[in-house]
Amino acid sequence: MRVTKTFYDWVCIVLITIIASLVIFPFFWMVRSSLMSNLEINQYPPVLFPNNWQFDNYPYTLSVFPFGKYLINTLIITIPSVAGVLLTSTLAAYCFARLEFPLKKFWFTLVIGSMLMPGAVTIIPIFIAWSSIGLSNSYIPLIVPAYLGGGGFNIFLIRQFLMTIPRELDEAAYMDGAGHLRILFHILLPLIKPVLITVGLFTFILYWNDVMGPLIYISRNEMNTISQALANFRSGFGTDWRAIMAASTMSIIPSVILYFIGQKYFVEGIVLSGLK
Amino acid sequence: MRINQWKRSNVITAYLFLTPAILGLLFYTFLPLLGVMGISLTEWSGLEPPTFIGLENYLNLFTTDCYFQKSVVATLYFALGAVITGLIYSFSMALLLNRNIPGRGIWRSVFFLPYIVPIIGSSIIWSWMYEANFGVINYLLNLLGWDKIQWLQDEKFAMPSIIMIMVWMSGNLIVIFLAGLQGVPKTYLEAVEVDGGNFWHKFRHITLPLMSPIIFYNFLMSLIANLQGFVPAYALTKGGPSDSTLLMVYLIYREGFMRNNFGHASALSVLFFLFIAVLTGFIFATSRLWTFYESEVR
Repeated sequence: MRVTKTFYDWVCIVLITIIASLVIFPFFWMVRSSLMSNLEINQYPPVLFPNNWQFDNYPYTLSVFPFGKYLINTLIITIPSVAGVLLTSTLAAYCFARLEFPLKKFWFTLVIGSMLMPGAVTIIPIFIAWSSIGLSNSYIPLIVPAYLGGGGFNIFLIRQFLMTIPRELDEAAYMDGAGHLRILFHILLPLIKPVLITVGLFTFILYWNDVMGPLIYISRNEMNTISQALANFRSGFGTDWRAIMAASTMSIIPSVILYFIGQKYFVEGIVLSGLK
Repeated sequence: MRINQWKRSNVITAYLFLTPAILGLLFYTFLPLLGVMGISLTEWSGLEPPTFIGLENYLNLFTTDCYFQKSVVATLYFALGAVITGLIYSFSMALLLNRNIPGRGIWRSVFFLPYIVPIIGSSIIWSWMYEANFGVINYLLNLLGWDKIQWLQDEKFAMPSIIMIMVWMSGNLIVIFLAGLQGVPKTYLEAVEVDGGNFWHKFRHITLPLMSPIIFYNFLMSLIANLQGFVPAYALTKGGPSDSTLLMVYLIYREGFMRNNFGHASALSVLFFLFIAVLTGFIFATSRLWTFYESEVR
């Protein structure tokens, strides 16, 4: 059945188009500025499109902003962290969804409650502890937390998903002689793949976009992450806007690509987290 | 027999599987919490051993230190501003998108995009658009006949400017609201129409009450996130002008890591923790009053 559009539907469409253009505008403005000469960027009144497209802004920017190196640094932190979060939060979620053990409620409340704990409160003692064992200028303090439970929120999400899978499956596998590890990794894991992809994507974005962690722990320029390097580049290159805009564009591209590949899971994950 | 064995293996497996999470609670929540309280009672630059000074850091925060009070005001202004404006924006957008609109998925992606790109990148784009002399926002104001505004350099405008960025980034809320709206039964809305109700009646008596748990969830989650706001102050304003955007997490960072006043910064952290704990406790305690759960009526 096709519903005919009313006058109000058209008003909505027009409104959405206008607001969506405003929302996308900053991205357009960034890319457009990254393809201009500094003279043209600072032209007033501003022009919408470059008169001659300065594609060599990008090679120039790469010569002062080694994006590839920062990209690799960021991946060195992000990939092991995503693996750690997925592994340890799945293990914990399995306990809370499937096993009976003493103090279950107690641990569950603590683990979920810790999600409300602001990270900034404990950065000082944690930083001091890492520097006292001489690891403060390395990636280790940034990766280790991912292997310590993976966050209350992720545990909760995976647990909710596990609870929707019938227990009979585990019991049947158990009767066939499977242990807990086998049940979890061979039987349940394939079934909870969607939620794992969601958790993985969000963890990736979280670590990818992290500013505070690298800022505190990493001081050497050649170890910087993308966000950190971009922030330093912005303060170091003051008014060289074409390079700053080109660097920003490059920094944003990986997230945009990832978003369009994993869009379905981002949306599902967000919905799952909000409605459960 | 086999059941007992299963139960025993349950307990052992559970504690084995929970070991990472329990270690995390211990080393990343409880011990650091004790640590931060301990350090807050000292004067410590990190170089020489700490000296115990009792509650002096706290006394200073409430008497001579003007930054602390300014940061409380700035943090509340920022968080409430960003949350309330963000909720209004995202709920309205979700209502618009929930109509009979072609290409809803594409629009939703557009609104969601700012939420996932690196916030440092977004901050830089916005700082360029806010730029006072050549920035596009002032250009548009000029076209409309207004004077240029020093967006990030003016005490009055710096905070609204960074709140605006947070609102722009709140596309995640739109997605949650939209999913919630699609769960509002069409029959209820039609019933109101049959009784001659208009858009406002449907919104006020059906949509709003049914959505209140989701509004509450979004409110709480984005409040907690925004109370911990750091990047806008770090990347755009450095807490200024005249400390008008001195967010508390930025202040903790500045005192602790730029000025090496670990004792002072720890006292700030403890107060920040209490502040968030009291606020979330209060919100949970009063949530019954303003959210509506369908199951309660049935």
